[in-house]
Amino acid sequence: MLFSSITFLIVFLPLTIIVYYLVPSKLKNFVMLLASLIFYAWGEPIYVVLMILSILLNYFCGLDIGQKIENPLRAKRGLIFGVTVNILILGFFKYYGFLIETLNAVLPFDLSYRELALPIGISFYTFQAMSYLVDVYRGDVREQKNVLNFALYICMFPQLIAGPIVRYVDIEKQLKQRTLSAAKFGRGSMYFICGLAKKVILANTAGALYEEVAAMQMGSFSMLTAWVGCIAFAFQIYFDFSGYSDMAIGLGKMFGFELRQNFRYPYVSKSITEFWRRWHISLGTWFREYVYIPLGGNRCAASRNILNLLIVWLLTGLWHGAAWNFVVWGLYYGIILVLEKHVWGNLLERMPNVVRHLYSLVLILIGWVFFFSPNMGYAMDYIGVMFGPGANGFIDKQALFLIVTNWLLLLICAFSSTTYGQKAVRTITGAYKSRKARRIASCVFYVAVLLISLAFLVTDTYNPFLYFRF
Amino acid sequence: MTGQGTEYGQVRRNRRDDGRYPQVPGLTVAQICKYILTLMIIAFIVLMMIFTGGSMKSFEEVAGVVEEKIDTDKLVKQDGQALKRYYGLNSADYENVMLYLSEFSISSEEVLMIKVKSEQQLQQVRDAVERRREQRIDAFSGYAPEQVQLLEDSRLIVRGKWLLFVVSSDADTYVSAFNRGL
Repeated sequence: MLFSSITFLIVFLPLTIIVYYLVPSKLKNFVMLLASLIFYAWGEPIYVVLMILSILLNYFCGLDIGQKIENPLRAKRGLIFGVTVNILILGFFKYYGFLIETLNAVLPFDLSYRELALPIGISFYTFQAMSYLVDVYRGDVREQKNVLNFALYICMFPQLIAGPIVRYVDIEKQLKQRTLSAAKFGRGSMYFICGLAKKVILANTAGALYEEVAAMQMGSFSMLTAWVGCIAFAFQIYFDFSGYSDMAIGLGKMFGFELRQNFRYPYVSKSITEFWRRWHISLGTWFREYVYIPLGGNRCAASRNILNLLIVWLLTGLWHGAAWNFVVWGLYYGIILVLEKHVWGNLLERMPNVVRHLYSLVLILIGWVFFFSPNMGYAMDYIGVMFGPGANGFIDKQALFLIVTNWLLLLICAFSSTTYGQKAVRTITGAYKSRKARRIASCVFYVAVLLISLAFLVTDTYNPFLYFRF
Repeated sequence: MTGQGTEYGQVRRNRRDDGRYPQVPGLTVAQICKYILTLMIIAFIVLMMIFTGGSMKSFEEVAGVVEEKIDTDKLVKQDGQALKRYYGLNSADYENVMLYLSEFSISSEEVLMIKVKSEQQLQQVRDAVERRREQRIDAFSGYAPEQVQLLEDSRLIVRGKWLLFVVSSDADTYVSAFNRGL
């Protein structure tokens, strides 16, 4: 089920909220778990079985590690077992086809295989489960003995399908006790509406512009058209994913949970290092805590640190998808981060802000080409068009038409992806002296945004979130 | 990714590191359960591969097996324009498409097989099939109850990136041919 679907907004969410608030506190987790399983089973009726089996497996793995905590060797064996099984399950569903196809490309004969659909959200809930096992092993948290609470941690519907990846240590206490209040519910609703608007108004519209460019024959469009297409995709993926994260955080608040921010205006970054501190923060944190630091982090020789960074970014690329363009995308960022850390970081800091912004934006846009391309050949051709070779001139009628018909969209997207967007909302809703007037202004503003979003939704075609495929 | 976060293992509980630990004889309940669950997951994946897995066979190969069962006296092969007209889908968006419709307007029989390019397209195709089915039920209701029954008994099978939609009294035959073809 999509957050941005009429079924979710008109039926599932109101019903879940009503039941959740009516039942006594001790039943709230049960209601939330039941709602989460229905939410998942709505789109994945078969794979809900896999998710339940995975939850139970990790629950018992956690108990097993917890019981052996006084014996590091046995606890470590328990951890290795749990993490290995999780990686094998994720690896099978996500990389099995990629592996066979890669082998088929080099072998003189073809290996046939039966491909399976990728279970939605498997990358997110598997990473959450692994973080729990590691945290229990490290002694950062105690093993969860209540299977219902553990199941809720893994499959809580606000963040089940596309994150943010919640670490158990961040939510352990909230699973037992959390506060519900009208103010918190209101804040959650505002987050949710903002996220919905980002997705259905901005991301889907920018996506339509990107699709227009993507449908063109390679070599038939100009450099400017290529840049417009790439910029449109950059806005689409940002508003799509950060919109989903905002909706997840908002829903969490409505049910009493506090989830961490997943995005902090990444396109205002003045370096790629800063960009990755602002983009998909929960994934960056996961890789830092569970891969980068255990590998030695930056407290080691420069050569080892470079290797650590490249390993982490190779894995980050692979996490996003089983294809060579994602591997290259990950390594592309790994190499830039190594260069910023060890070669030109200090020089970059001394540059004027405008240069640093431009540097970051150009590199980010090139990065998105690897991300949206169906294969490496397409990516290289597209980059070729962006920089001249292969382009049908610098500018053509197509580019002018796209800019003339979409300048307002691009302007609104650019404005909304900076802190100015939020400041403008605050100015509108906080322009009155009396508290009551400010509240009314907020209500009117957010209800208007909700209605506009619903109007977009009703006329929209099926538009799943981009990060569902991960 | 460059900042050093909380110290690895900083707050781990005190453990005895002298290598002498009381050994628990046999397996604990948690251990037994985790092994059983691992086996259950493996069994689940095997069953999924058998019953819902797609195929890397060529479209023509699978289509050939299904087409063997099609009564070409009643059903006529259609082109991409028909897919657009009746389902609202662009054939160029998909890996390959095979559509057979009844020659007679009083029959609701049809066979559609699509291989999508990516799993994201499956929902779009499912929605289109559901819309088509509802439209046909509306069209036949009132004067051809047996055709409405066929539409209500229609089969929609999704395996990997493959999708088969059949409206026919021989729907089971087509479905088994499709499964065999994969």
